[in-house]
Amino acid sequence: MLEALALTKRYNDVTALNALTLTVAPGDVFCLLGANGAGKTTTINLFLNFIAPTSGTAKVNGLDVTKEPLETKRYLAYIPETVMLYKNLTGLENLEYFAALAGKPDLSRDALIGYFREVGLAVDAADRRVGTYSKGMRQKVGIAIALAKGAKALLLDEPTSGLDPKASNEFSDLLRRLSGSGVAVLMATHDLFRAKESGTRVGIMKHGTLVAQHTTDEFGHTDLERVYLEHMRD
Amino acid sequence: MLARIIRHEWRTLGADATLWVVGVAFIAAIGYGVWNGARWVGFQQAALASASAEEAERYVKLQTEVDDLQRTGGKVSPFRDPRSPSNAGGRLGPRYASLPPGPLAALAVGQSDLLPYYFKVSTDSRDAVVGATEIENPQRLLVGRFDLAFVLIFFYPILILALCYNMLSAEQEQGTLALTLSQPLSLATLTTGKVLLRATVLVGLVVVCTLAALVIGGVDLAAPGALARLGLWVAAVVAYGAFWFGLAMLVASFGLRSAANATVLASAWLVLVVVLPSVFNLVATSVFPVPSRMELVQAVRAASDDANAAGSKLLATYYEDHPELATGDAAQAMTDFNVVRVAVNDDVERRVRPVIVRYEQQIAGQQRLVDGLRFISPAVLMQSALNDIAGTGYERHQRFLQQVDGYHAAWRQFFTPLIFQKASFTDYRTTPRFAFEEETSGRVAGRVTPAVLGLAIPALALVWFALARLGRFPVVS
Amino acid sequence: MILRIARKELLDLSRDGRFRVLSALVLIVSVVSLAAGWKTYTDLAAQHRTAQQATRDQWLNQPKKNPHSAAHYGVYAFKPASQMAMVDTGIDPYVGVAVWLEAHKQNEMKYRPAQDRTAVQRFGSMNGAEVLQVLVPLFIVLMAFSAFAGEREQGTLRQLLSVGARPHDLALGKALGVASALGAVLLPATALSVVALTLSTSEGLLADDPWRVVTLGTVYLTYFAVVTALALWVSAWASSARLALVVLLTAWFASAIVAPRVVSDLAAWLHPTPSAVEFQKALEADLNNEKDMKERLDRRRDDLLKQYNVASVDALPIAFSGVSLQEGEEHGNEVFDKHFGALFGRYERQNRVFQWSALVAPTLAVRGLSMGFSGTDFGQHRHFVTAAESYRRDIQRTLNGDIAKNQKAGQVYMAGRELWDQVPAFSYEPPTAGWVLGQYAIALAVLGAWLAAAVVLMMRAASTALVD
Repeated sequence: MLEALALTKRYNDVTALNALTLTVAPGDVFCLLGANGAGKTTTINLFLNFIAPTSGTAKVNGLDVTKEPLETKRYLAYIPETVMLYKNLTGLENLEYFAALAGKPDLSRDALIGYFREVGLAVDAADRRVGTYSKGMRQKVGIAIALAKGAKALLLDEPTSGLDPKASNEFSDLLRRLSGSGVAVLMATHDLFRAKESGTRVGIMKHGTLVAQHTTDEFGHTDLERVYLEHMRD
Repeated sequence: MLARIIRHEWRTLGADATLWVVGVAFIAAIGYGVWNGARWVGFQQAALASASAEEAERYVKLQTEVDDLQRTGGKVSPFRDPRSPSNAGGRLGPRYASLPPGPLAALAVGQSDLLPYYFKVSTDSRDAVVGATEIENPQRLLVGRFDLAFVLIFFYPILILALCYNMLSAEQEQGTLALTLSQPLSLATLTTGKVLLRATVLVGLVVVCTLAALVIGGVDLAAPGALARLGLWVAAVVAYGAFWFGLAMLVASFGLRSAANATVLASAWLVLVVVLPSVFNLVATSVFPVPSRMELVQAVRAASDDANAAGSKLLATYYEDHPELATGDAAQAMTDFNVVRVAVNDDVERRVRPVIVRYEQQIAGQQRLVDGLRFISPAVLMQSALNDIAGTGYERHQRFLQQVDGYHAAWRQFFTPLIFQKASFTDYRTTPRFAFEEETSGRVAGRVTPAVLGLAIPALALVWFALARLGRFPVVS
Repeated sequence: MILRIARKELLDLSRDGRFRVLSALVLIVSVVSLAAGWKTYTDLAAQHRTAQQATRDQWLNQPKKNPHSAAHYGVYAFKPASQMAMVDTGIDPYVGVAVWLEAHKQNEMKYRPAQDRTAVQRFGSMNGAEVLQVLVPLFIVLMAFSAFAGEREQGTLRQLLSVGARPHDLALGKALGVASALGAVLLPATALSVVALTLSTSEGLLADDPWRVVTLGTVYLTYFAVVTALALWVSAWASSARLALVVLLTAWFASAIVAPRVVSDLAAWLHPTPSAVEFQKALEADLNNEKDMKERLDRRRDDLLKQYNVASVDALPIAFSGVSLQEGEEHGNEVFDKHFGALFGRYERQNRVFQWSALVAPTLAVRGLSMGFSGTDFGQHRHFVTAAESYRRDIQRTLNGDIAKNQKAGQVYMAGRELWDQVPAFSYEPPTAGWVLGQYAIALAVLGAWLAAAVVLMMRAASTALVD
């Protein structure tokens, strides 16, 4: 579903991403691990066509994102680190708006409430302005948008940063359900625990290069940490 | 898609309280501007009515006096005799040639507070006739009027820029832009939707408020040519707005922060609306100065002196030119003051004509030059369009002056034979009247269209560049 | 301490790219406007000289004719160009340049330069006054809006407090910094204008000029001080630099662009003027008052008969026609004084509304004062009109007196060069700077009040800003 083929991004002399090649199949939860500036966010921005690659290709559902910018976005859903919504609109109105932009303008109120429930938001929160929502709630709205959209691939940037353990746990459940229904998930994160919990595969990025790729059932939790730190050492 | 974006924008903007306050202030300004314009039109119409009432009253009195004298054969001083054609055409019976305000004159005071809109036409020389002016405190002329044109030229762009300066940058700064753009819509579509909403609301507001104000102010929209001019006015408002929306789009497409956008746009407003027109003015008056009226005064005087000195000789030459006027006792006519005066006036005009023509050509040349350069500032273009639509501009006034010239010539042609025949003038109702032939809407459109195009074409160019640049908009920094 | 703060402010500003661009702009525009004003003035002065000489020659070279014909021929009086109009052209484009001084009529000044120009001129001309009243305050606002608010946002205000900087010193130091930056930018144009004024001293306005220049300079400096103090005041209480800028820009727009027009409407509403038709009607009604004229003449006739102790007009040693002409003039003069006096009085009352309105918008005070000291306001125009009219009346008195003395019954009396020479050339003395000062007492008082208020507000806000 998501494919990076020798994807490279250079800014003047700095190589932000060096010939990244990876594939995320439907149902896969691929966790990109790495320090700040390792290239995780750059990868996500390249898939979203927010920046143009210096060389290489990013493909979504077999389509090149630079050649089919609008078409590829139909399959993608993006959850940034902080999901910012329109403060003066309610949760439901935000969901309706983004779903409409995504190509689903005629969802009924019941359908929208349905998505709210599916991501674990309380129904009475639906008609409150998002200015009052917590970070976790806003993230759930983001995922609701992905569901309403019927996205086939999900791009997540540091989804669990700033979430308390309960919210993190709820997030893990959601991820499991999504991957169970065949969504391909690419997640950039620092959270090694969550990567082991929810991820199916991990990739370790260092200074723009993917230095290792493994499946998560190869390790236990402590092993993952050890492997990670080993790669980070230089 | 576009409709959805527009609806969303409406909600977001509607939630902003400051915009409502500013909107109300703008509506108040429009209303006040139209009211002011309508009041000035009322003043002019009252002055014209007063003039024609004065003329009617005077004529009744003169006719009565003539009738009385005819009947009773009483005596009266020759300088005051209403039966003398010289007096009738000169001091006693002049008529007014007036320029009624155009159908939509309330939209822009323009030059109408400065240029005279009526003249008392008599057999006097053209210069003496055309020298009158309306009474107005020169300081008020200097400051200008708070009319609708002022509101549109100055306030309207500020409102546009205030609505648009952060249309993209705010979303970027608050973080919603990334989420929006991860949906299958292009930045061009999003921006177009945002601009369309703002444009529709603002232009709609301006048009509706102005129409309401015009109707409340008692302006007759059914008058001939009013609707056509109204259409032109809407076109001008749309074109001027399009320019500023285009500019805002272009600046937004560079992806700067809201504060930077605001600075750039505010500077653009200052330069285009305040600095450029007045620097342009400064340069025009010092580099292309209008020739000196003082010199003209002296030239006219010298010419009339020469003509006066040659009094009787002139009369002989005049008879040679106009043999139809020579009556039997030409010798008697020589010493007749009025008859000599006609010949003298004629000679004066002939000598003075080349000086005046040269002077007027120089003025016209300067005007044309300045007019050509008006395309450098949208504010100047808008002003010229609005003045032409309201009928308070230079060209319509020139048309009036030409018609007055024609009327003045006709007036003289009417009285000159009577003076020469020393006939007794008994029927004041036969004196020629003046009726201003209003410009056709086609003519007005012909002058307004270049100005509107001068606004619309750069607007389209700005939008085109903006849409092109949006492709390189830095969604993430 | 204050000087140190001022120095730092100046250094800070001079390194700011935006300040450099802005100051270059102001510099260029001020020099260009000065150059253009200089050119226009020299052109006008030359035209005036030629015209004034020409009309005098025309008067003196009149052939022999009856003095009353000469009275009808009349002379022209041309309004001289004021030197200081280089800085502020004021109402000059909107008042006539020439007036025909003839018998029986007080004519209005004709040929307003504005009527020959295009509509663009109504945007105003970027002369020195507009640069100083519109652009410079904007410049000051842009330099000073972040003085306190910006430092608060950066966090440097706290640091200043922690090292014991006194709020008063800070405020004055920042004001001085802004002032010196402004001074540096305006210095070239000011120096050039002083040089230009000194060089162009041919018009006889020299005797007064130093005082006008000095006063005008002081007025503008006071105005800049007011704007600086107000900008610093807003910067001190505003919660963010952006809010300070928005408030100041709105105030600038309201004061410089909107206020004059609104006040103009207010002035016209409070003191309306008649239309020309109405004015003319009223004037003619009084002029053609047969009864009044007849009474007047009869009285004069009786007085004369008594004075010379004769029984009939024919026996008088002077020609009654001359006396009667003069009586006609006197009657007319009274009527003109009444009507024109009322009209001009209204204009002056309207202009006083502008001065009072400066309580709300200080720019209005400076506008009036600037025009006043540049010699291009209505008061001084009226002064010229009165002088020209007084000259006209002198001419009539001379000519009519000559008729009375020399006209013999039954003869056609012709006079020549000797009589024309008796009429002196028209020489106009413009009013002194002191006179102008009197006319603008209100504006000066209001400007002074603004200065006091602005400084007090600034100082108080500065102390509370730091306490925060």
